[in-house]
Amino acid sequence: MSKSTLASIIEISLIVLAAVALGGIWNRTLLADAWRGAPTSQSSPAQAGEVLPMPVGLAQVKEMLDGGQAVVVDARSTASFREEHIAGARPLPLEEAKQRTEKSRLLDDVPKDAVVIAYCNGFSCHDSTELAKLLIAAGYGSVYVFEGGLPEWRDAGYPVSKGER
Amino acid sequence: MNRLKRYLPVAVRVALGGIFIYAALPKIADPVSFAGTVASYQILPYFWSYFIAAVLPFLELICGVLLLSGYRVRAGALIVAAMNALFMVALASLIVRGLDIDCGCFGGSKTSPWLALARDVVFLAMAGAVLRFEAKRNPSPAATT
Repeated sequence: MSKSTLASIIEISLIVLAAVALGGIWNRTLLADAWRGAPTSQSSPAQAGEVLPMPVGLAQVKEMLDGGQAVVVDARSTASFREEHIAGARPLPLEEAKQRTEKSRLLDDVPKDAVVIAYCNGFSCHDSTELAKLLIAAGYGSVYVFEGGLPEWRDAGYPVSKGER
Repeated sequence: MNRLKRYLPVAVRVALGGIFIYAALPKIADPVSFAGTVASYQILPYFWSYFIAAVLPFLELICGVLLLSGYRVRAGALIVAAMNALFMVALASLIVRGLDIDCGCFGGSKTSPWLALARDVVFLAMAGAVLRFEAKRNPSPAATT
């Protein structure tokens, strides 16, 4: 192995190590939370910058919705909701939720200890995560994001509905 | 012509460095949403999506700064080329699996995997060019054999 190749290998290793160290330190709270598989603890939102909602899978959403254990909210627009939504979900468009000044008014009739699951148009859509963060900020303790969203639900052949509710 | 010869290597190097710094900053600012993008590729398990989201932007940033500053260019360009090759494999896997998600390359608006792939080809070529210029500028004994 030539000297310059060796030098490059050492340099590359050092650069990668530096990136791992910097990234690890910069995101230490986030990584620690992700390692535990838990959402960022609410006591230190300043450090992480954000509170992370937990992801939840298709089967669990179905089970919790059927069992009446969770409130499923649709983060998409009212028009999309009217067109098609998960049967039993309630509309809470992200845009609308953002505009409500009193965050406690997001879901008037849902107690703060209820399980809330947000969804939108699948993995490419981040509105559900944004909405979930708003809900956490509003004081809801168990907020989940169904990342597969409507597409995964529909593909699984689970019931969808049209209209206002 | 002489001018072109003199400045083209610098221009390519600086442009590539700038692109990578530009790509790194939004991800460093919002690691959570970048982690979501990494997760949406459905390649890595839960924690590792966060790990990549935490580390990759810094790797991009460091390499970008190295290329921009002209310090340790060979190592920087090699890592950039390797990252690009990885991105291309990931993007190709999206296309094969028919997943139409945002590539998450620069943050912001949605880019289709095909366009991102095409862009990565350009970046890879730029990295290759930087490496060639660098080899010409200070030829190592191994390269001359």
